[in-house]
Order: sequence, then structure tokens, then C-alpha cells
Amino acid sequence: MTPEVETAIQEVRDTFPDLLVEVTPEVQGGAYVVVGNLWIGDQYEPTTSWVGFLIPFTYPRADCYPHFLEGGIRRRDGRPLGDAITATTWNRRSALQVSRRSNHWNPSTDTAAAKLLKVLEWVRARP
Amino acid sequence: MRIKTSHEESGQTPLSLTITSKLLECLMAHLFPGDQDEHGAVIACGIVETKRGTRLLARELFLARDGMDYVPGHYGHRALTPAFIARVSDYCADERLCYLAVHNHGGNDSVGFSGVDLASHERGYPALLDITNGGPVGALVFAKSAVAGDIWTPQGCRALDYMTVLGPRIYRLYPSPPARPRHADLVYDRHVRLFGDAGQEILRSLKVGIIGLGGGGSLLSEWLSRLGVGHVVAVDFDGVDITNRPRIAGATQWDAMEPLVRSRFPWLRNLGCRLAHRKVDVARRVARQANPAIRYDAIPGDVVDQETAKLLRDADFLFLATDSMQSRLVFNALVQQYLIPGAQIGVKAMVEKDCRQIGDVFAATRLVLPGAGSGCLECHGLISAAALQEESLSEGERRAQRYVEDEEVPEPSVITLNALSAAQAANDLLFLFTGLYDEGVELKHQIHFARERLLSTVDFCSREECLDCGTLRRSRYARGDRGRLPCRMTAR
Repeated sequence: MTPEVETAIQEVRDTFPDLLVEVTPEVQGGAYVVVGNLWIGDQYEPTTSWVGFLIPFTYPRADCYPHFLEGGIRRRDGRPLGDAITATTWNRRSALQVSRRSNHWNPSTDTAAAKLLKVLEWVRARP
Repeated sequence: MRIKTSHEESGQTPLSLTITSKLLECLMAHLFPGDQDEHGAVIACGIVETKRGTRLLARELFLARDGMDYVPGHYGHRALTPAFIARVSDYCADERLCYLAVHNHGGNDSVGFSGVDLASHERGYPALLDITNGGPVGALVFAKSAVAGDIWTPQGCRALDYMTVLGPRIYRLYPSPPARPRHADLVYDRHVRLFGDAGQEILRSLKVGIIGLGGGGSLLSEWLSRLGVGHVVAVDFDGVDITNRPRIAGATQWDAMEPLVRSRFPWLRNLGCRLAHRKVDVARRVARQANPAIRYDAIPGDVVDQETAKLLRDADFLFLATDSMQSRLVFNALVQQYLIPGAQIGVKAMVEKDCRQIGDVFAATRLVLPGAGSGCLECHGLISAAALQEESLSEGERRAQRYVEDEEVPEPSVITLNALSAAQAANDLLFLFTGLYDEGVELKHQIHFARERLLSTVDFCSREECLDCGTLRRSRYARGDRGRLPCRMTAR
């Protein structure tokens, strides 16, 4: 992994110190990261999920996007999950793709950990 | 007392310093304020060492305040204070930069260290080498139009051969006036009438990298060889095919294996595709036809790969003529990290997806000089974080992550439009190195809107926190081999 990707992974671990963070290096120097058992909101069933994403080898210049949740997640009220969430597979897992691209990604300040927090906030805030 | 030799005397490769004109202006204003007195400073430098030579890269300037940091010395006229030396050398050690102390003498086009200067180096530099974890460390002494250097490494010390100044004019300063250039070959008679034997000799001495040998890059390659550029390094992983042959300078039907590719038999078509010639090999053939004396390195590779990018770190100029965002990222990093001026070229013809109507057609030539406010592609928002993310995915991942199945449609591309952006870039190289640009010329990015016959420029942008051209601690600017290029570690 590149030194920048390693730093990003450490920041993710520091942000979620009580959770399991699985890292699979990718051949170009990036890494696939899965953070386990995050609370995603009481409006969902189940209320927790793993969250996975790729940190590209060109990080921090590249955006970290999209993010993936457990494929079996549904809304308690039965409504569709809504825009920007689509069913797919990711790393041979059934997954939901959460597509929240950063339109103003700033490599000097934005981090993979901060992006994960923003995505979680968005998922949790869905009505 | 150690005897300093130039590279010509010792047979070693050159040792030089590269500095931007902006930094040099700031330094010279400090050293020569008009008081005929001596002043001091330190330059913190990166370094690049290759078979072609060793270049120190001026990154930051620390001006010594008269009477506070630069005071009457015990041995010599003036000296940097121990506190100033400690502060700056500690900084250089932390940042893995080289420490170069600077002062000035009188005189104009010739300068050298005094015996007192050299004695002070003997006293102080072995310890400075330790403090800065092996340096190099050293000293520069300036006259109005000359510079001499005494550079120390753990292996020994050497004289600086010259300093290269990067700006609207790229030129060298020496310790004393260099020898007159030899007369150019008769074949360059018309060139010499524009920029003299000296200009032709400069072109012959250049090493130029071309990233992408398609439409624009192949034109640049032929033109550089005809200009008399001595050494070209051409990088492209792609081959000639029936659809790009019209745009590749000098490409023939056999380069694209067209007689096979046009066959009605699928196996012959496949064979034709596999046997088609590489773009870099075609470019080398065409270049050697134009200039048999050229040294031409045809590299069938991707600049995004570390080992390929490293081949370009001692170039004098870089051209980027590719479409990928990753190659744009590496190009910008090479320019800023290794202080190599460059130009990015490209053509875009906008086509409406649904109705296939042609929109804007524009040709861009973006000169990128090292340093803030000099065209950095990152500062100009030309390195898309989203595109970098998409390019890092495998083909399968890219398809799986799109919402809609949209087929990738090739964009229109025509040689005469490529020539618009390539010609300006080639002339930029020529005018920068031969001093033909007017004083005060603005080297802004140029966009030629072909359908409106309109040439427009883009005002300079710079961001202090830029990771490429900024001077905050995180930036790669002028670090040379002490920094890391944003390359992939292994190809997929």
C-alpha cells in the first residue's frame, strides 16, 4: 500500500477504535476497507451494517467513493431505499451501493475517515 | 584544503542547482539591494541523482536578517549566526532537504569563494552533514550574473557546475563565462538565423519527455527531432490501429497491419491487431528519419507505473499528450517535484449523446512551470478526484458501479486540431529555452475555440495548500528523490 493509503487506514482505525477494520491491499497500492458493525439508523432493518469502500492508490488526490452496505438491509416501513442506494455485489458480497460523490473533494483536507463519517451521517439522516 | 573540480575536469556528471525565477528574484533583491555590501541566506533544496547528473532543487528560501542572523564574523567579513544555522539546519534535517548557505561578492559575470570562505566550509560542513543526516550541504556565492557553489556530501565535495533558472526564459548561470558554442551544422542554417548557434546548441543538449505518442504526441516527436533536440524519451503503451493511423505522424498502413485487419477472416483480423506496431516504435523511426543523430528512447510503458515515471525525472521538459487523469496527476507531480517545466496538450470535441450534434471544439495548450501561480494543473482544477477514482477501478468494477449502462463512445479526433495545441506547446519549448519570449510575457493556459476561431487565455490560479506546487510541509514541491511520486506500485 502507498504510505498515504496506510495513513488513511490508520485514521479510519482511530476514528472507529472499537470496531473491526478489515483491510485488503489492492495490487496497485490502494486498499479495500471494511468497517464492521456500524449503526446506520433505526429506520433500517437491521440497524447495523458493515461498510466497505476502496481507498484508491491515488488517494488523497482521488475521492473515496462509493461505499457499500450489507445487501440485505431494508427499511422498516417497507418504502424503497431511495435515490443513490442501489443493489449490487461488491467483493463477492451481496451489497447496497451508496453513491455519494464529493463534488469538491479537497486532497489537502478531506480524508477517507471523514468521508465515511459523512456517508454514515447521510444514511442515518434519510427520513 | 580540498581541491574542487568541475565535472569536465573530473569526468563526473554535472552537479547543478535548479531554481525558479521568482525565488531567484527574491534572493537577488536580498543579496543586492544596492548597498554594495554582503548579505546572507540559506536555500533548502531537494535533490535528484541520475546517470545524467545531480540536480539540487531550490524549494525554500530563508533570508538572514542583517545584524540579527548575519553578523560580523570571527574569521571573515560576515557570518550566519549559530542560532540561525541551527534553526534552518534542523528544519532541513526534519524535512530531508539539503542546506545551502548563500552570500554575495562584488563583480558581474565571474565569482569564486575566497580562502576565508573555503576555510569556514572546512570548519563547519562536516558537522552540518551530521546534523542534516548526510546532506548534501554546501554554499553558494553570487555575483550579479554568476554563481559558484561548494557542495559537500559524505563522499567528498564538489564544485557546482551551473545553476538553471526557470521562468519565461530558461537560462544558466555559471561561475565564469562559458566557452562559446560550436557552430551549428549547416542543416540548421535557418534556425541559427533566429536563435543563433547558442540556441541550436541548447536544443541539442536537451532531454525531452513525451507522454503519449498518439495524435498530438507523435507530431511533437517529429517536430522536436527536426528542431534538433538531442534526446527524446517517448512513453506510450499503445499500438497503432486502423482508427488512429490517420493522426499518427509517419504511420503507414503496415504499422496498423491494415491488410490483415481488413480481412474477412476473424483469425487474420486478430493476428493483425496483435502484430500492429507500437506507437513509440513508429515515433522513433520517424524521428530518426528527420534527425539521424537523435538519441531516442522508445518506452512501451505507462507513466503511471513508478519505474516508467522515474525515467523522466531528469528531463529538461515534459509534454503530456494523453487523455487519462492518472497520467495528468503524475505529469503534474513530475513538474513540481522535480522542477521540470512542461506542457499539457489536448483537444476536445463535445458531442451531444442523444442527438450526436457537435458542440464546442477546442484545443488546449497548458504550460506548467514549477512553482505556485505558474500553471499547476491541480490549482487550476484540472485533476479530477472523481476521474482518478474511476480510473483506479477494474473494468468490471467500473461497469458494476454505474447506475446506467452507458456505452463508452470514442470521441472525435482529427490531426489538424491536434496540431493546433501541439504547435503552441512546441514553440513554448523553443522560445523558453532560446530566450525568444518578450520580457513580461504571460505564459497562461491557452484554449483555442476552433469553431469560433477564438483564442482565449485562463488567468493563473494557485492554492497555498496545493500538495504539488505549494510549500506547506505536506507538499511534494522541489523534493526530488526525497519525495514519492503518486504512481501505482504494481500494474493490475
